[in-house]
Amino acid sequence: MAAKDEALQRIRELLGEGALTADPDFRTGVSWTITCPRESLVAVMRIFEECGFYLESLTGLDFQDTLEFVYHMNTYEPRARMAVRVLCPHDGEIPSVSGVFSSALWQEREAWEFFGVRFSGHPDLRHLLLPEDADFHPLRKDFGTVHAYRKREEVYG
Amino acid sequence: MAEYFPQPAQQQIYSLNLGPQHPSTHGVLRVLLTLDGEYVLEADPIIGYGHRGHEKMGENRTYLQFMPNASRMDYLSGLLYNHGFCLAVEKLAGIDPPERAKYIRVICAELNRISSHLLWFGTFLMDLGAFTPFLYCFDDRENILDILDRVSGSRLTYSYCRFGGVSRDVDEVFVEQTRAFIKRLRSRWPDYHNLVTKNVIFIHRVRDVGIIDKDLARRFGVTGPNLRAAGVAFDMRKVEPYEVYDRFDFEIPTGTKGDALDRYRVRLEEMEQSCRIIEQALDQMPAGPYRQERVRLKVKPPRGEVYFAFESARGQTAYYLVSDGSPYPYRVHVRVPSFGNLHCLTDVLKETLVADAIAILGSIDIVVPEIDR
Repeated sequence: MAAKDEALQRIRELLGEGALTADPDFRTGVSWTITCPRESLVAVMRIFEECGFYLESLTGLDFQDTLEFVYHMNTYEPRARMAVRVLCPHDGEIPSVSGVFSSALWQEREAWEFFGVRFSGHPDLRHLLLPEDADFHPLRKDFGTVHAYRKREEVYG
Repeated sequence: MAEYFPQPAQQQIYSLNLGPQHPSTHGVLRVLLTLDGEYVLEADPIIGYGHRGHEKMGENRTYLQFMPNASRMDYLSGLLYNHGFCLAVEKLAGIDPPERAKYIRVICAELNRISSHLLWFGTFLMDLGAFTPFLYCFDDRENILDILDRVSGSRLTYSYCRFGGVSRDVDEVFVEQTRAFIKRLRSRWPDYHNLVTKNVIFIHRVRDVGIIDKDLARRFGVTGPNLRAAGVAFDMRKVEPYEVYDRFDFEIPTGTKGDALDRYRVRLEEMEQSCRIIEQALDQMPAGPYRQERVRLKVKPPRGEVYFAFESARGQTAYYLVSDGSPYPYRVHVRVPSFGNLHCLTDVLKETLVADAIAILGSIDIVVPEIDR
């Protein structure tokens, strides 16, 4: 079985059918989107790890009502990329996946300093790109000049 | 390769800063090394000296205004980044450029890839103490810069692509110059192989040094030639063909062990494959318009998002664009290959000699401003 199908099947068993959205045309550049609650994130990542995926990119989006983190997972097959989306309040915490993927050690440091959300369980949450004494979170929309600061449904609704 | 045997009685552990201003760090990069004599125990790359906030800049300017930023991330393969950004926005906004423009872009992008690899070739060997190859490959690279300068107007930070085409058409002279360059570059391969690939000192410096195997590459998200050297034939141009790459006959060179020598071989072979792509593209390039006239300067994509991955000279690069329906992107995120490629050094550099650490750092081909963004 291809790595992609195996991962999908196991995630479906864990989160239920409603958490998955397909994009058969690959229009957004991902084949499946998985909406994942914060508490299941590590379990989902472990499935990806066991199926031979790697963590391609980790980034966040700031909306007025919530923050959203997007984990892009990929494996060495054509069009296998999947996105795991996790919602998190502005003062919330997200479980760290650095115990599953080593690359998350740096990616989470970057996401933490830019969005101000702690990754609980990260062994070494230091500044990565910003100066050591930076006490601001530049990619939040209330920092600096931005064109728009919207609610989540205004973009994805 | 010398192996590390700790001898507690004589152990003298100390820290050493490699960089931030050091010729072998290729930019402003500091690696905090913990050493026992000549052996590296711990390596902690410290980055961010060149952080300019490109992602934040994307949030307060239009898509077209962000275009020059793209080529300033990885300044050695600027046109590839420029090209990738253009494709991402075109995918988001549903713009289809004319056929001729697609071919022009592919030719220029592959020329840029060769120039990036040539620069890596020169600087990598200079790190190992060989000064002469640097002069040879800069001579070759100069040809590419002249060709691209003529069509795009810049020599390093290109902003040649436009949504729906390119900024200027190419002429017969461009085609002639490119063909002449490929002929010239091919006549150089025997020299390169005789002087470097078969050089016994070089082989001893790089063989079995800095092994990045398949598993390690996956854990750290290593992509590009560094991953292909470990034997994984994974190239965005083949697995997710974009532009017109599916019309060309080319191969993905791979290595077996994933040591510095394999990475060297893979990159050298990749230059030859790029030559093949350029030749085929020049043969197939149709006449016609080079730019879609109806595209507005202020592109206004519909609400939604796109994650567009392409192959830059250093590996898998991707733009993640989120649009709220206005002419300004809601979020621009760039997945840069050097980020993962550098991160894996925390593991690879353990228990190597300092001299090998320099060879490894050179062999993975990092560009620091790309990591810092």
